[in-house]
This record gives sequence, C-alpha cells and structure tokens, in this order.
Amino acid sequence: MDLRKTPFYQKHLEHNAKIVDFSGWALPVEYASMLKEAKAARLTCGLFDASHMGEIRISGPKALDFLQRLTPNDVSRLAVGQMQYNLFTNQSGGVIDDLMICRLPDSFYCVVNASNKDKVFAWLLKNQQAGARIVDESDNTALLSLQGPNSARIIEEVFGQSVRDFKYMHVRSQILDKRPVIISRSGYTGEDGFELYFSERDGGFWWDKILSCGRQRGLQLCGLGSRDILRIEAGYPLYGHELSDEISPFEANLNWVVNGNKDFIGKAAMLEVKNNGVERLRVGFVMQDRAVPRQGYPICSRDKMIGEITSGTYSPNLDKFVGMAYVDVSFSQPGSQLSVQVRDRFYNARVERFPFVPIRTLREKSLKTA
Amino acid sequence: MSTVKFAKSHEWARVEGDAVVVGITDYAQKQLGDIVFVDLPKAGTALVRAGQFGTVESTKAASELYAPVSGSVVEINKDLPLNPQWVNEDPMGKGWMIKIKISKVGELSDLMDETVYKDFVAKEAH
Repeated sequence: MDLRKTPFYQKHLEHNAKIVDFSGWALPVEYASMLKEAKAARLTCGLFDASHMGEIRISGPKALDFLQRLTPNDVSRLAVGQMQYNLFTNQSGGVIDDLMICRLPDSFYCVVNASNKDKVFAWLLKNQQAGARIVDESDNTALLSLQGPNSARIIEEVFGQSVRDFKYMHVRSQILDKRPVIISRSGYTGEDGFELYFSERDGGFWWDKILSCGRQRGLQLCGLGSRDILRIEAGYPLYGHELSDEISPFEANLNWVVNGNKDFIGKAAMLEVKNNGVERLRVGFVMQDRAVPRQGYPICSRDKMIGEITSGTYSPNLDKFVGMAYVDVSFSQPGSQLSVQVRDRFYNARVERFPFVPIRTLREKSLKTA
Repeated sequence: MSTVKFAKSHEWARVEGDAVVVGITDYAQKQLGDIVFVDLPKAGTALVRAGQFGTVESTKAASELYAPVSGSVVEINKDLPLNPQWVNEDPMGKGWMIKIKISKVGELSDLMDETVYKDFVAKEAH
C-alpha cells in the first residue's frame, strides 16, 4: 500500500530522516538520534511534523449541543479562543478517541488522532443532528508543532507579533502574510510550545520561515520517536496504548475530564464503572534495574501477573527507564513495588507519580507571577 | 596488522592470538539507532557459533547478539552495560563486547573479510 505523505515529506528526506509507516503515513521516526531530539525539545526547541493528525470542524447553531452530547468534558466552559482536552466516548463508556477542541469565533475545531480519524468522522456522522455541520479538513491541513523553552521567541520572530498575552491552552485564528493560520499554545511534550495549523499548500513557506528563525535558537527537527519519549516523560496517554474502546476514562486516570453535571453518550456506563470501583488503573513507573520496558511486557508480583506495560522508553532527560502500565488497583499507589518481565528475566520497578519531568507549560498562574 | 572478520548477523571479530574480540558493526549500530541497553554473558560462558551470547536494545527494538565462532568467554567489556551509547559512538573500539577463546579455529575462515562484508551490506540495503 502506498503511504500517505505530508506536505513536508521532501523536507524530511533532505534532512536524512528515517521514514516509517505510522498509521498509513510516511513520517520521520527520527533524523539522526531520537534521544538527542528528545533532549533538544526540553533544552532549546523541537519542530515536529504532525500533519497526519485529523482536523474536523463542527459549526452551526447546534454545534455546541452536538459536542456536549458526544463528549464527557464540559465544552460550554470554553470561551472563544480557548481549547480543551476531551474525549469521544461510546455507549459502553469506552474511549473512541481523545482530542483537543479549539473554540474559534465561528466553529469548534477538533484535532483527533490520525489512526482514529476515519472512525471518529463516521461516529460523528452517525450521531449528527440538525444544525451541526461536520467537515473533515484533514486532507488539506498541515500541522507543525514547535515545542520547548525557545519556541516562544521563534514564534514571535516568525509571525512578527508578541506572544506575551498568549496563554496556555488558548488559540488564535489569524491571517498572517496573507495566509490563514490557526495557532494554539499547546503541545504533547509538557514544555511551553505552539501548534500551527495551515493550508497544506502554505506548508513549505512556513517550514522554511520557522527553520530560518529557529536556526539561531537551537531548533532541532524531531521525529515521532522523540514525540513518544516526550509524552511518556510528561505522563500523557496515547490512544492505542493507554486508551481504547474498552478502557474507561476512570481507569485511565482521566477522571478530571468527566463532568458529571452534563449528559453525554456513555455517561451511565462510565458512572457504573466509577461507582463499582475500578479494578485496574493507569500508572507511571520507573525501572529500578537497568532494563528496557516495552508495550505488552507482563508486570508481576510474587509470581502473579498483576498488570501489563502499555508504553515504555529510555528517558534521555532523566537517564532512567520509565513507562506506563495498567496495574491492579492494589498496586497503583506511588511507591508500590512491581516486577517487570523482560524476556525470561524479572526486573524491579516502582510506581511513581506523573509527570516524570517538570511540566513547564505556561498555565495562567505562572503567567501572572512572571 | 590485525585481522577483522565479519558475520552475516553483523558482528565483527578481531583476531588476537587464539581469541577474538567481538562487537557489532557500524552498519548494525546505524540500523538499530540509539543503543540504550546491552546485556552480556558472564566470563566463562561456553558459546557455540551462531548461538545467542547477549542482547542489545535500541530505542526502537531489542536484537539478539550471535557468537561469530565457538569458544568460551574470557573477558567482557564490563563498562559497556552502563555506557551503551559507546556502541553508537565507537562500535569497533570502546563499544567492543566480549572476548572469546576460539575452540574451532576453522570457523574463522567461514566469516567474511571486510570487502566481502561491505558488498553483503550494500546488497542488504537494497
């Protein structure tokens, strides 16, 4: 099967990217070293091509009602220019996808996972109501994510405007250099950063401009490998690993996303899980022995299997092996000792609180003191 | 000048008297990417040719290491498991893994010379 290419495919090849198949997309897994890339995103700045992500726009007089009915977080709390982490959930309270909802002046801009885009779009159409228009804009949208402490300065230079009043989890829809751009102050790394959505035909223009402004500020091209390392270090779940149609948000430690004061698809089933008490929980762990934890490895305690790893990596920013797992609730407290089976041997690990690295996004509190 | 031989599984073996020093090739480390874990056998372990002697893991995957010749492990690079990045930085130097005392000298001639290995890699890359 031919892999789909983002507008930056040729640019990746020019920079000697190692290309892999990710959900049917040809994307860089790394350029030279994913460890170096993951370090740069926390020390200076990393640029990620995330154009494979899906963008679905919901508009019309019933757009808000529609999204409220399909998601557990309260979309009505969003003012224009704000964004929110949310989920699409099924009747049995499992997760169809996790997403960001950006409230723009005329619409709700939903950013979904590439691997789930078709499933989500079909789900939205199936539940469509009069007055809510659903448009899949994924095919002609490019997405670049700029992450790290130097990203604000680079964005200011690229777009020629201050970002001092641009808060975390806020979004702007603008015309810049005669080109429409949606910019949000957000990301998937735990660092301060920006996500930039533009027409795919403008991709090359913005790529070149960002690279030329970023050169003096240590900008590093980053592939999917470092993106995964960074999100694990930050404790963020990834669909297909920590989230699925069969996993409840209450098991995934996403209780804060579920608003009990509104009605939505899957609410009854979800509350039943909550009231009965969950049997397994998503936790973070740090290896005490030197061993690489990987998805699918069993977690044991005294010869009994009590969980399974969903994500694992070497963390270059901590020089530790870290990961996420679902474990029996009785082993979910920070400090709980785990035994990870790697091939035919067992290695010690300990449950630790997320995040593994300090989160440095500019939440409103820190903006006021800055 | 020392003789270096190569296995199809991308280990190199540098002949030193009646022993060989073994590691993985530059081509192999480039394919694997950042190495984050190396597991080596204990000194004294008996190895058979093409049998597994250890494991190397990169950020992407775990790979088995195979003995290029039969023999017994007489020395290991003790510092390597704590510095796995040496395999990337210097695969034929600091990144050496084990030293094997050869039990069947004839097996050496089954390994490739450098020029043959280079052709082999060039073909595998296509």
